[in-house]
Amino acid sequence: MEPSWLLTQLRHIAHASFYLLGGMTLAAALGMVLTRNLFHSALCLGVALLGVAGLYLYLGAEFLAVVQVLIYVGAILTLLVFGVMLTARMADPTVPPLNRQAWAAALVALGIGWALVTALARTPALGQAPATVVPLTELGAGLVTTYVLPFEVLSLILVGALVGAIVIARKPE
Amino acid sequence: MIPPPMPTAGGAIPLTHVLTIGAGLFTIGLFGALSRRNAIGILMAIELILNATALNLVAFNAYQGPPGAPALGQTFAIFVIGIAAAGAIVGLALILAIYRQTRTILADEIHLLKG
Repeated sequence: MEPSWLLTQLRHIAHASFYLLGGMTLAAALGMVLTRNLFHSALCLGVALLGVAGLYLYLGAEFLAVVQVLIYVGAILTLLVFGVMLTARMADPTVPPLNRQAWAAALVALGIGWALVTALARTPALGQAPATVVPLTELGAGLVTTYVLPFEVLSLILVGALVGAIVIARKPE
Repeated sequence: MIPPPMPTAGGAIPLTHVLTIGAGLFTIGLFGALSRRNAIGILMAIELILNATALNLVAFNAYQGPPGAPALGQTFAIFVIGIAAAGAIVGLALILAIYRQTRTILADEIHLLKG
């Protein structure tokens, strides 16, 4: 058994699993939009977010994959599930999930999606460079040197959003 | 003996395929944001749209990263994730406040400002 043969097989497996992961992500997203039960919808969103985290791994963004799992699946999804449960009456599966403009919305979304995909199909191959893992030190050093101002502004925005959310959602005295 | 380099998928997969997945996520998210009745469902769809954007940023960074700054696209993706978190927090707080006032979060039943 030659090592190069093994390497080729490994590459094929990696190749196939990329498309599997992409298909799973898209299917979960579609399920999220179309399910009647809002809680199932939130679970589908979790699968889609995990799929995107897997795609980040393929693209050499290990840190972002971890951040995606921690922040999206760990924090935002938990928050959304809380919201679903606090408004439990609204998650009633007998309530129609889509509004009256669903067909118009599908038309608009499909039109924009078609435009995007045709534009991509006409694009010449952009870069063939293999995905190399960006070192985490590079990312961290950028955040505290070149991009330190937007980074600090982002933390201010987050603090403001947290305080504002508490003020808005607080029970009136 | 030096082990052979681990196979990365990047060489085999064209960038446009990654971007197509991003476009699909964006399209599905847009449809959800336009058609869902439940305000939390709309919020989820918006999170999907932001994820598609971040995925495209990371993909462009991996295939055509700027020569001097190999992590620029990922830095932008971090900012996108941060803003998305802030948006989700404020959005949910607003939805809870509206639910307390009107006992509904169906977007087509909230028409306080309609003339």
